[in-house]
Amino acid sequence: MSVNKVTTLAEAVQGLVNDHDTVALGGILSREPVACSYELIRQNKKELTLIVDSHDESVELLIGAGLVKKVESAYVWVGVIGSGLNFRRAVEKGLPKHIEVEDYTNLAIGMRFLAGALGVPFLPVMSMSGSDIPKYNDKIISMADPYKGQPVNLVPAAEPDVAFIHVQRADKMGNAQIWGMLANDVNIARAAKKLIITCEEIIPTSEIRKIPNMTQIPHYCVDAVVELPFGAHPLGVAGYYWLDTPFRRDWLKASKTQEGFDAWVEEWVLSWDKFEEYLQKLGSDRLAKLRKLERDNYQIPRIENY
Amino acid sequence: MNYTTQEFMVSACSRLIKDNECVFIGVGIPLLAGVVASKIHAPNSVLIYEAGGIGAISRRLPWSISDNATTDNALVATELWRVLGDVQRGYIDVAVIGGAQIDKFGNLNTTAIIGAGKTYQRPTTRLPGSGGANDLASSAKRVLIVMRLEKRKFVEKLDYITSPGYIAGPGDREKAGLRGGGPETVITNKCIFRFDPLTKEMYLDELFPGVTVDEVKAAVEWDLKVGSNLKQVEPPTEGEVEIMHRIDPLGVVLGSKSKQENQSFEEYYKIMKECYESMALLI
Repeated sequence: MSVNKVTTLAEAVQGLVNDHDTVALGGILSREPVACSYELIRQNKKELTLIVDSHDESVELLIGAGLVKKVESAYVWVGVIGSGLNFRRAVEKGLPKHIEVEDYTNLAIGMRFLAGALGVPFLPVMSMSGSDIPKYNDKIISMADPYKGQPVNLVPAAEPDVAFIHVQRADKMGNAQIWGMLANDVNIARAAKKLIITCEEIIPTSEIRKIPNMTQIPHYCVDAVVELPFGAHPLGVAGYYWLDTPFRRDWLKASKTQEGFDAWVEEWVLSWDKFEEYLQKLGSDRLAKLRKLERDNYQIPRIENY
Repeated sequence: MNYTTQEFMVSACSRLIKDNECVFIGVGIPLLAGVVASKIHAPNSVLIYEAGGIGAISRRLPWSISDNATTDNALVATELWRVLGDVQRGYIDVAVIGGAQIDKFGNLNTTAIIGAGKTYQRPTTRLPGSGGANDLASSAKRVLIVMRLEKRKFVEKLDYITSPGYIAGPGDREKAGLRGGGPETVITNKCIFRFDPLTKEMYLDELFPGVTVDEVKAAVEWDLKVGSNLKQVEPPTEGEVEIMHRIDPLGVVLGSKSKQENQSFEEYYKIMKECYESMALLI
């Protein structure tokens, strides 16, 4: 059963993602697959529909680059340090192109992924009643539940064509271990038709077996495994590195205009051939410090004997 | 002592969190208010963040509901739909959320300011969306809302109801089948509002020192009622302010944006390293 799914990000994106695909992204702030968004931009995968709960850079970058046709989401922004400048520009002004929006709540998106993961067509949620969310979203069906007659809102299963999830570690088969918050990744992995796992480290299956509770995604959901240290930069990965806030601020500053964002993409996304060159451009000292800030305080405990 | 309005809001908000409560934290000021409460008067409160962290003892400000710090020394690290499911199930005592626009029944808009002649698909101002706020507003037992009192924020009619308060008045939450208690308190930079138990209408209950009733009324679009026992908010204590700055040394919530914008990576690293060392002493 030891199928080796290890590949490069460029090959995974080329082979598994098509224009017009519906795409889901894992993580929320922590573990967002930012390097995957870079690669989607580099390969100019167009007319994508995104299904996301609450996302920052990974979604903002795709919108700013004009790759997105529609966003089905609960929240798109650059929380706390800024606003979703690309999201706003696209929705309000149609720059670089208009995107269609479809609003949900975080629980509703979570239930869409859960329905997809369970192979059921929909699930009910108790929230959203009394709000305008169902009014502007035809996919949400408000009805009285057939058992007790309570008001419920049905949301359809999400079955993305492809999903990207960045995790701490995985083996070559794709058994993926996550440390810290899980967001909706356990269900996104199962709901997606194709799944690309990027990870900080590829580890032997024998190490996976020492702490199987950490394996949140079994290999049979996975189509490709890519070892991609710092694949969430400038966002963080629990136990590996913390947010690169000065980098995020510079990016936000550049994003104030479409021209500024385009120039930023030219410099930070299109100017290199391999992701390693992006990391070199950041500098090893900077990366070491981001790692130290996290690791001095918080890391996956070592399990020596199991 | 001297304090900023931001410090005042954090303090006023944190004091409304009670010890032993299960507290669900939203983005913005709630992120800091939750940690402050847990370090000062509510050491047994359990802070819950929607990406799946339950009971963290953070050594710095979580910068989001999903930041690594939300599972630092946590009791549980689980899934988003799971913790929001716990809200729906009724386990959460209090939710602390922000808002962009609010009406007199405590309904919130964080989706879009649509504007005249514009549409939901092409609004004047697009906002982030609900995130988990609607789920919390629907199902948490108590809801605290934190937002600045500014013109066009406390409006007669919302363009879009993202998160329900009392909807259009008494009985509406029950009709909609919402299980939570609805908004309890609105904390602003000038005052605190509460809701009339009978009419469900927001009224002015407490003023910050130096703020007048007229000043508050001028910023509110509807005919604001004033509570019969108008109180003054107690200012933050030195201890509260000290801890706030230890938790948020970069001023992410506390302000001072210009300082941050020119910050080099080296300064950032140094400040954060010191933050961890200082906070480690409090665990």
